[in-house]
Amino acid sequence: MRSIISLELLKNLQDRGLLFWMLLLPILFTVLFISVFTSGTEGVAREQVILSIVPGYTVMFVFFILITMIANFIKDRELGMTARIASTPLPAYKYLLGKWIPYMYIVFVQILVLLLFGKLVYDIPLEQPLSLLIVSLLLTFTVTGIGLALSLLVKTNNMGIAITQVIALGGAVLSGLWMPIDMMPSFIQSFSKFLPQYWAHQAFQQGMEGTMQTSDILLPASVLLLYGATAFTIAILRYPAFLKMARG
Amino acid sequence: MLKLNQVKKQYGKNVALRDVSLNLSSGKCYGLVGPNGAGKTTLLKIIASIIQDFHGSVEFTNSPQAYSKELIGYIPQEICLEETVTARDNLSFFGKVYGLKGQMLRTRINHVLNDIGLTEKAKHRVNTFSGGMKRRLNIGCALMHTPDLIIMDEPTVGIDPQSRRYIFSMIEKLKDEGCTIIYASHYMEEIEQLCDEAIFIDKGMVVENDRVDVLLQKYVTPSIYLKGENCIPEEKGDFSLSPRKDGYLLLTDNPIEVMQRVIIHCKNHATQPEQLELSQARLEDVFFSLTGSQLRD
Repeated sequence: MRSIISLELLKNLQDRGLLFWMLLLPILFTVLFISVFTSGTEGVAREQVILSIVPGYTVMFVFFILITMIANFIKDRELGMTARIASTPLPAYKYLLGKWIPYMYIVFVQILVLLLFGKLVYDIPLEQPLSLLIVSLLLTFTVTGIGLALSLLVKTNNMGIAITQVIALGGAVLSGLWMPIDMMPSFIQSFSKFLPQYWAHQAFQQGMEGTMQTSDILLPASVLLLYGATAFTIAILRYPAFLKMARG
Repeated sequence: MLKLNQVKKQYGKNVALRDVSLNLSSGKCYGLVGPNGAGKTTLLKIIASIIQDFHGSVEFTNSPQAYSKELIGYIPQEICLEETVTARDNLSFFGKVYGLKGQMLRTRINHVLNDIGLTEKAKHRVNTFSGGMKRRLNIGCALMHTPDLIIMDEPTVGIDPQSRRYIFSMIEKLKDEGCTIIYASHYMEEIEQLCDEAIFIDKGMVVENDRVDVLLQKYVTPSIYLKGENCIPEEKGDFSLSPRKDGYLLLTDNPIEVMQRVIIHCKNHATQPEQLELSQARLEDVFFSLTGSQLRD
C-alpha cells in the first residue's frame, strides 16, 4: 500500500494544475470576496464577514479535489492500470486506501494553508487550535471519502466535473458558506443540517471564536465521520464493477 | 504448471468462454490465437485473476498453493505505466507491490533495466520515451518479481522492427530461464517464431491446441508457387491448382516430386518459369482453416 501512496504523492506533487486549483484559486476568491463583502463595513461587522468567508471558502474549495480524484481514477481505469494492479497481490482495499491517503495529505495541507492565510492576512482568530485540527482532519476524511466513492461511481470525466460542481457549489449555497445560513428560508436551513459542509463550517467558526465545548464537536464529528465511512463502504462495494469497466 | 478446468464465463447473456480446459507445462511458450471477440482477453484476465467471478478452476500444479498471484507476471496490451515519473520509479512501484524492498529491490531494478535495455534511461520520465521503450518498460514491470508464468497480451503492437526483435530476444531469454509464457497475438508469424504450442480459441472454445509444427502439418497442404507461361504439366496427377497472385499454387502431398515434374516439363517445352518455389506452410492458413475467413465484428 505504501508503494501506491508514494507513487500517487509523487505524481500529484508534480501536477502544477493541482497547486492552482487547491491553493491559488481559493486564495484569490477569498481575497476577492472579502474585499467585495467588507467594502463599507468596519469593526465587528467586518470581522464577522471575514470569520464566515475564510472557513466557508476553505470548506467549499476542498471539495474541488473531487475533480482531480475522479480524473485520476478514470485515467487508471482507461489506461489499464487498475486491471494491472488487480493482477498483483495487492488487495482491493489496500489499492483504494493507497489511492485515497495521498489526497488526504493534500486536502489537509490545503485546509491548513487556507486557514493560516486567513490568520496572516486577515488576522482571523484561531482560539481552539486542537478543535480546529480535529475538524480539519474530519473534513479531510469526509471530502476525500466522497471523492473516492464518486471516482468509482462516475463513468466519464465530464460527469465527474458536473457532479463536483453540484456538490461543491450547491453544497456551498445550501450550507451557508456564501452567506449566513440565518438569511436562508427555513426549509433550506433544515436541509443544510444534512450536508457535511454545514457542520464543518459551523465547527470551524466555533473553533475560531473559541466557543466550542467538548460536547459541541460530537455532532459535527459524527456527521462528517458518517459521510466518510459511508463513502468508503460504497467505494469498496463498487470496486468490482469498476474493475469490470477497466481496460487491460 | 497451470491447469484450467472447465472454465466458463458469461457477461449477461453473452457466453465469453465455455468449458475451456487446458494443461500448460513449465518452460514452454504458448501462443494464444483467435479472432476478435473470441474470448482471449477474458481467458487471460481469468488466469491473471483480474476476473474472479467465473465457473471452473485455475490451479498451479507445481506450487504448494493452488493459486498465487506472486507466480504470475501480467503484461497487458495497453501501456500501463505512470508516465509522469521515471522508468526506475515505475519498476520500483511494481517491485514494492510484490513485496520487494531494500537491496533486493535495487538489484532487481538494475537487472530488469539491463534486460529491457533501458539502463541509460532509468532516470528519464516515461513520457519522454518512444513507443518501443514504453513497451519494453511495460514488460519489465511484470518481470520485477521473477514470475514463473508470464502472460503477454499483444506485447508488440505499434512498435518498430528493432524493438520487436529486442522483445523477441527477451522472450527467448525468459524461455531459456524456464519461464512459462502465454503469448496472445494476432501476428501469426510471431506465434510461429516464438511459441512451442498454439492454442486456437474461437467463440469461447478452444478449437485446437497442439505443437506449432504438428498444426502446420495437420492443417496446411504443402504447395509450390509457380509463375510463368506454359509451365504447368498437362497431367495433373497428384496436385491441384489454385490461382494465387500472378501465378498458381500447386497443392500436393509430394511437393518435391511435383517440382521435379514442373522442371522436366519446362525443359521439354523449352520454357522457363519466372518463379518456382516451395511455399512455406503458415500458421495463418491454420487460423483461417479453424476460424474461417469471414469478418468478425
